[in-house]
Amino acid sequence: MGVERTYEEINKKIKKGEAVVVTAEEIIPLVEEKGIEKATEEIDVVTTGTFGPMCSSGAIINFGHSDPPIRMQKVWLNEVEAYAGLAAVDAYIGATQLSENKEVEYGGAQVIEDLVSGKKIRLKALSSGSDCYPRREIETYITKESINQAILFNPRNSYQNYNVAINTSERKMYTYMGILLPKMGNATYSTSGQLSPLLNDPEFMTIGIGTRIFLGGAQGYIVWEGTQFSPEPRKIEKGKTVYRGATLAVIGNLKEMSPNFLRAAIFKGYGVSLFVGIGVPIPILNREVMSYVMVKDEDIYTEIIDYSIPRLERPSLGWVNYKQLREGKIKVQGKEVITSSLSSYAKAREIAQKLKEEILRGEFLLQEPIQKFPQHGEFKPLLEIR
Amino acid sequence: MPKKKVIFTFTPQNVEKPVTYQLIKKYDLWVNILQAKFEPGKGGKLVLELKGEEEQIKEGLNFVRQIGVEVELLEQEVLWEEKKCVDCGACISICPTGALFLDKLTYQLNIDYEKCIVCGNCVEACPLQAIKVTF
Repeated sequence: MGVERTYEEINKKIKKGEAVVVTAEEIIPLVEEKGIEKATEEIDVVTTGTFGPMCSSGAIINFGHSDPPIRMQKVWLNEVEAYAGLAAVDAYIGATQLSENKEVEYGGAQVIEDLVSGKKIRLKALSSGSDCYPRREIETYITKESINQAILFNPRNSYQNYNVAINTSERKMYTYMGILLPKMGNATYSTSGQLSPLLNDPEFMTIGIGTRIFLGGAQGYIVWEGTQFSPEPRKIEKGKTVYRGATLAVIGNLKEMSPNFLRAAIFKGYGVSLFVGIGVPIPILNREVMSYVMVKDEDIYTEIIDYSIPRLERPSLGWVNYKQLREGKIKVQGKEVITSSLSSYAKAREIAQKLKEEILRGEFLLQEPIQKFPQHGEFKPLLEIR
Repeated sequence: MPKKKVIFTFTPQNVEKPVTYQLIKKYDLWVNILQAKFEPGKGGKLVLELKGEEEQIKEGLNFVRQIGVEVELLEQEVLWEEKKCVDCGACISICPTGALFLDKLTYQLNIDYEKCIVCGNCVEACPLQAIKVTF
């Protein structure tokens, strides 16, 4: 029997300032040097991190009531529409919603970043009016201080693994995976690999509903499995297992977050998105948890997908690992192709490091999941039924 | 040998002058064409890298100015706002000369201004609008 730890034991050590914490990158040479048994004995927590564009993000805002009051039916923030089909002064601003005025240059993600940065946001709301809410229109300014709640609630973040995008066509493509040059002129990917939260606990031994996480610079929580959750691993050649379909739904107080870890992005010709910084601490409960956390870039594979075919099923051009991708060049059908990452490895590292320091200072305690994620999930297509 | 990057702006009147030929032949300069954009009847722009003796470059440029071609020196051609940059690397693979790269240790973005040919590909590829081209 090897080491077994509980969350309580780890939290006790964190409070006493005695916990041993390293990042998912630092653990790799440590296990190689000491062996997995010794490393499991010594390390209490391993921190992960990711910082990439995550479109399925947004914020719930409660504006407070005006006098006379209004039941907002249509809401715009800096001319970006927010969904107001909720109670009177609640709205949800989605990251990818585009401004009705400035087209692709400004959107929900920018509203969120501006709000977090403390900037004034122009609010416009319309209503048909009623006996309890007579007002039909309001135009004013809000800030994060003036509103009641600003809650970041992202239905699908932190994709476990994502494919490499490439373009075999004759024309340049503008995609959510960045600019893809014709004739396989480049390839893009978007995962923090060995630092990625869900690649360090691919069987969800410690990550689940209720897990406390680093979210956008503040402490947040995992509230559910993310949308499109499909965790079944896939076996590829030589017995390699590829994990890829798990996602997280996360929540946290937007008011406490920082534009350092929440940044609006514009993908030319595609639209806007939000870079979200997420870090998940993984308690080393036993040897098995450690056996996943020690994963390194060269052992994590992803599929090269041809984005020139705009269909649900796009052709695969093979598999590569993150060591190859991060070194900057991969071979695709005999051709050498230069790679770009869309998620920032430097930032992912900064997040894992920051989370580690918070735990070491006793400011971040681990939360055991209230409920485990399901082991299965179906990725259903949408059928057109006439 | 010193190198200089320059932009020549031609008018319809002087567009047919054999400028690069003279720079090579008369001033013994190495001329590397980085970018050229001409429209019929409208003149155009030529971005060059010149390599040669300091004095020769100076005289060569004087000659170009004398025939009425506007000469601009490209000192800081690409403006990179490091504060806005998140070091993702989206700009790297669309750079035709490998001027943009991530540091192998820190994974932070670096620009080798020597290699930059001011094509502007990185400007549209940057999701944070952290890169601008000065012309």
